[in-house]
Amino acid sequence: MSWIRDKELSLIERLCANVLKAGPIPKHVAFIMDGNRRYAKKCHVERQEGHSQGFEKLAETLRWCLNLGICEVTVYAFSIENFKRSAEEVEGLLELARQKFTRLLEEKDKLEKHGVRIRVLGDLTLLPLDIQKLIAQAVLETRAYSKCFLNVCFAYTSRHEITNAIREAAWGVQEGLLDPRDVTESLLDQCLYTAKSPEPDLLIRTSGEVRLSDFLLWQTSYSCLVFQSVLWPEYTFWNLCEAILRYQYNYSNIQKAKEIHHQQRARLQLESDRSWVQDNLCNKEYSTAEEDLILFQKLLQKCKAGREKRTQTFICALEKKRTDFLQALCES
Amino acid sequence: MSVLCAVAWRLLHLLLWAQRVVFTWFRSLSWSFVFPKLADLRLGKAGHFQGDCGYLTKQCDCADLRHRCNLKYLTQQRSRNWRADGCRLGKLPVHMAVLMGEEVQSYTDLANLVVWCMAVGISYVSVYDNQGIFKENSSRLMDEVLKQQKELLGHDYSKYPLEHGNGTTDRADRALIHMPFKVLAPEDGKMQIVKAAQNFCQLVAQERRKPIEMDVNALDHLLRTTQTFPDPDLILKFGSVDSTLGFLPWHIRLSEIISLPSHVNIRYEDFYSALSCYAGCEQRLGK
Repeated sequence: MSWIRDKELSLIERLCANVLKAGPIPKHVAFIMDGNRRYAKKCHVERQEGHSQGFEKLAETLRWCLNLGICEVTVYAFSIENFKRSAEEVEGLLELARQKFTRLLEEKDKLEKHGVRIRVLGDLTLLPLDIQKLIAQAVLETRAYSKCFLNVCFAYTSRHEITNAIREAAWGVQEGLLDPRDVTESLLDQCLYTAKSPEPDLLIRTSGEVRLSDFLLWQTSYSCLVFQSVLWPEYTFWNLCEAILRYQYNYSNIQKAKEIHHQQRARLQLESDRSWVQDNLCNKEYSTAEEDLILFQKLLQKCKAGREKRTQTFICALEKKRTDFLQALCES
Repeated sequence: MSVLCAVAWRLLHLLLWAQRVVFTWFRSLSWSFVFPKLADLRLGKAGHFQGDCGYLTKQCDCADLRHRCNLKYLTQQRSRNWRADGCRLGKLPVHMAVLMGEEVQSYTDLANLVVWCMAVGISYVSVYDNQGIFKENSSRLMDEVLKQQKELLGHDYSKYPLEHGNGTTDRADRALIHMPFKVLAPEDGKMQIVKAAQNFCQLVAQERRKPIEMDVNALDHLLRTTQTFPDPDLILKFGSVDSTLGFLPWHIRLSEIISLPSHVNIRYEDFYSALSCYAGCEQRLGK
């Protein structure tokens, strides 16, 4: 079945959506879609059926998000840790992925209509080659769309992502594109798989578990976390509304905390730049304090401009490297 | 129409706020077992769950957790058999992190909590707030912990010696190395990861390392030099903000997050029920 349901909201759902939209709506929501196997056990069906129902629920939830004005959704579809499951279950999940990505490529019109850009985040090299190719095609064919974004975390864990980001930064240093001092929190943000996305405003985990399970650990430091006990295949529009209400309740406190963090970050960056300037000023001698100050400001400006230029060049090179990898997959 | 929606939205949030206030008041009157689950506006199907312990403003719904929270033996502080309480739970966190998400800070209540952790057998405790207030005042907190240790554990306190995990020597002369306690701030989180990344990149620039050598184990090892505690098994979050507020992003990948409304005047029963909730969590680790 389709990735985005065609069903419109009912009258009462539309009314509720309009009431919610009077307050802040999260621009980016992340889902840990947990509970497929427990649902299958509860309904006395095979696990594979549980996962299949889970996908149907994803399609429905994407539709609700579009209707509520949530333009970016990230989902935790398959963790690197899930490779530890039985060979049968892993093969079942990969087969489901094969079917769904094939279906996605057949639904190009619908994706174009809604302007949906698909991204797949994770270590694709851990997947079978045919799935890698399907994913590469889906990502490249939708890269021009920009009305809304669906990020599917597949063969993903946050620790792998953070480590990969540092590896990319180290590659940049090795290639002479970056100075080690250019490696900042902001640079690492841009090296993550989620580089093109803003941080999630809201993270929802279903099935009653109250942990992050190695999902977007870096990006969700200031996200509103909502843990709901409903199993993922039973998720309803009202569960989503409840999560958004919690987000709205937390909005101003989280904004305040984010602001404090941004100020701390800016202060640390300024201190680092100043320390670079001090190192470079030591060698020079000037007659007046005023000249010292002017030179200090000039060097500070030069330091900042230099860092920004190198970062920009590096980010372009990194993007090209990633696109080339996907294109090579499509052509092979 | 949009004016009506805006009015309806304000009414809805006012109702939710009133519901929370009423529930907190009922809870403070210890009527919480009589009025289950009022704080959570559950509009969808409840589904099957193991005890929705994310928010202890509502009661856990598991019958066996209610049994564990039997108030008969949770009365007098000093006559408590602390270790027996710990054993009764079946599973204790090795490292419990206390996330302070409130505007107010009560050093005495926080110190009580740290001492309870020591007494029931939790090996490591850390305290975090996103403004670094407790880290700035860590000596004051440490003094309060030592004071409460004597008061709550009475003649037994020498059985529960304490080391200040931040490495300062304020009161370390009195303590034996046994139950480390650490105070953390945002600079211990992402900042440490960035520093480790910078140091690694410096080695790459000097051609002493290759980028490919950076993997999960390597980064974990680099971060352990500054964060010597094991990863937190349990994060006990205080305050109404539903966020980790920048707490140790790398280390919390499998931490259970359990919330309590406030640390001010926190009761042992609240702490115990949070531990009960933790004991009921099952981790499948991807399997």
